Amino acid sequence: MRHTVLIALLLAGGCARAPKPVSEVVAVSAIRLPASPADAAWDRAPEHIARMVPQDLVEPRLLTPSTPEVRVRALTDGAEICFRLEWEDATRSDTPGPSKMADACAVQIPEKIEKDLPEPQMGQDGKRVQVTYWRADWQATVDGRGDTIRDLYPNASIDHYPYDAKTIEGGDRARQEMALRYAPARALGNLRAGPRSQPVEDLIATGPGTLSPGPSLGAKGKGVYGRQRWSVLISRKLPDGLGVNQRTHVALAVWEGSQHETGARKMRTGWIPLVRRGE
Amino acid sequence: MARVYNWQLGREMAYWYPEARPRRQFAAVFDTNKCIACQTCTLACKTTWTSGKGQEYMLWNNVETKPYGSYPLAYDLRLLEMLNGQQWNGSRYTGQTIFESAPAGERVLGWRPEEQDFAYPNVGEDDCAGEVDGGKYLSLPHLNWFFYLARICNHCTYPACLASCPRGSIYKRPEDGIVLVDQGRCRGYQECVKGCPYKKVFFNPLTGTSEKCIACFPKIEQGIQPQCFVNCIGKIRLAGWISKPEQARADNPMDYLVHIKKVALPLFPQFGLEPNVYYIPPIHAPVSFNQQLFGPGAGEAMKTYRNAMHDPDLASLLCLFGSTELVVPRFRRQGDLAIGSDEKGAEIVRVPLREPVHVRPAFDAKNQLVRINCP
Ligand code: SF4
Ligand code: SF4
Repeated sequence: MRHTVLIALLLAGGCARAPKPVSEVVAVSAIRLPASPADAAWDRAPEHIARMVPQDLVEPRLLTPSTPEVRVRALTDGAEICFRLEWEDATRSDTPGPSKMADACAVQIPEKIEKDLPEPQMGQDGKRVQVTYWRADWQATVDGRGDTIRDLYPNASIDHYPYDAKTIEGGDRARQEMALRYAPARALGNLRAGPRSQPVEDLIATGPGTLSPGPSLGAKGKGVYGRQRWSVLISRKLPDGLGVNQRTHVALAVWEGSQHETGARKMRTGWIPLVRRGE
Repeated sequence: MARVYNWQLGREMAYWYPEARPRRQFAAVFDTNKCIACQTCTLACKTTWTSGKGQEYMLWNNVETKPYGSYPLAYDLRLLEMLNGQQWNGSRYTGQTIFESAPAGERVLGWRPEEQDFAYPNVGEDDCAGEVDGGKYLSLPHLNWFFYLARICNHCTYPACLASCPRGSIYKRPEDGIVLVDQGRCRGYQECVKGCPYKKVFFNPLTGTSEKCIACFPKIEQGIQPQCFVNCIGKIRLAGWISKPEQARADNPMDYLVHIKKVALPLFPQFGLEPNVYYIPPIHAPVSFNQQLFGPGAGEAMKTYRNAMHDPDLASLLCLFGSTELVVPRFRRQGDLAIGSDEKGAEIVRVPLREPVHVRPAFDAKNQLVRINCP
């Protein structure tokens, strides 16, 4: 891991110096979208430094600012767009539990390219926004950590789960059905409730408090923590109608888990222009 | 915030949403004097609803020993300290509720229990209020005391969990007032966990959503009392439907105990949620402690309960606790019989006020043997 970072740094510093920060997010074309935040392909994309403000419009508000800025780059292969968000974070928060919030980030894009933008805070009635949301605890699960109490608390002692009883008739299927009865969010198909194959979720919103699962935009993600910073890839379908040299907008949000940021308690940006560059 | 009327405070108060009382409100009376802390209720709930992965630490029903017991740790003291000693003027609360004292940017005054606060589910078990060593001996009234407080979600008229959720994922059912977390909509922000002063919403780390007591609504819908009621060994619990005070009916068990006899009182009414589980206070605990938990009516309620043996109507209703699996919406006394019935008057159960006493002589002449008096 360290070697990869070192090589990436050498590449960045030596031959392919990163372009200067730019005032908008520029999605540069790439033949293949990188699967890792450390991929050298990112050196070709200019960096936008987005200043963040606390969400202080609706209760519960975030009154103490945390993450001041997020560095964002974007690449597109013409079908998908991939963002890399990076921010400083001295504490890695990736375990779920009572009062434990996960580090997270999100990319928000208007559903339609229109002159009148939706409200930057989660959109508005009639002007939906698409939100692609990444979480550190989901990343840990996707990376292989289990999500049971024993995985989270190795010394936990658990007597028994009724669906593990040897006497249950009907085999594994009956067991699974019984287990699902004790996981109502999963039983109801709440995508939030796992099990997960990606650390990200496709969502849609028409204002604060309306976030809900959206039509699939094929969201994928990959977050890596190191040297007190998160480096997170979020990719999704290219916004409808975003041709070469055309513009839409993007807004970003970051949640600092160690500060109990979750839901409405977050740092966010306003709309930032997002332009797609050609070859 | 809207202005709503909270009869438990004797005044209007601020709440996040306008007053919207359900068509009828699920309610319960728990007689603390009869609870033996056997935790059968806790287990009945646990095996029914929270035996899954991610639910291990959840106790939708718990029984704690007062004064020191609490689950999660110090849930009550933490908030009482935050409210900082507020006042009643007679039966009118002149202090601030958790809605009225919400800090800037917050929906309610709340706090977040940490994971270790859930690590001691029965802390303080059987610890009494003072020490009993140093040559002390039993005298009456007891110098030292403790009692058991069984707790479930209060299915509050003004739920703080519901007010705290920025997504509107918590709702109060108009048909019965039961408060539920919509498991399809919840995104696990844990605002409800922070907001509920009774700490009766629990975060499930496996599903990432918050879960809470559902008042066994599938049973309630069939007119059957919840699991923790019908399994109660001490027969301390009675479920029913409570009216607004001005609509109280003398033949409705909840109305009679809460509004008419005022022998059953809400837990921490000063928080402002109009909770709907009512407690008959423990008559051997100090009035001041009972007042802190159950409000200014505690002293009178203790007197009323002590006098129950001379009050046949009250005594008859107390006999109906734990007498049937069914919800008993109406009751009446017929001589020495307590009769529970449905809304149309059809009898559900009848219980004698006094069970017949059988005296069995130690010497059994028929079998020519001496019985000893052991179980
Ligand atoms: S089952 Fe009844 S007596 Fe036993 S602890 Fe629960 S409330 Fe108390
Ligand atoms: S006791 Fe807590 S969880 Fe239950 S309705 Fe009231 S505020 Fe909500």
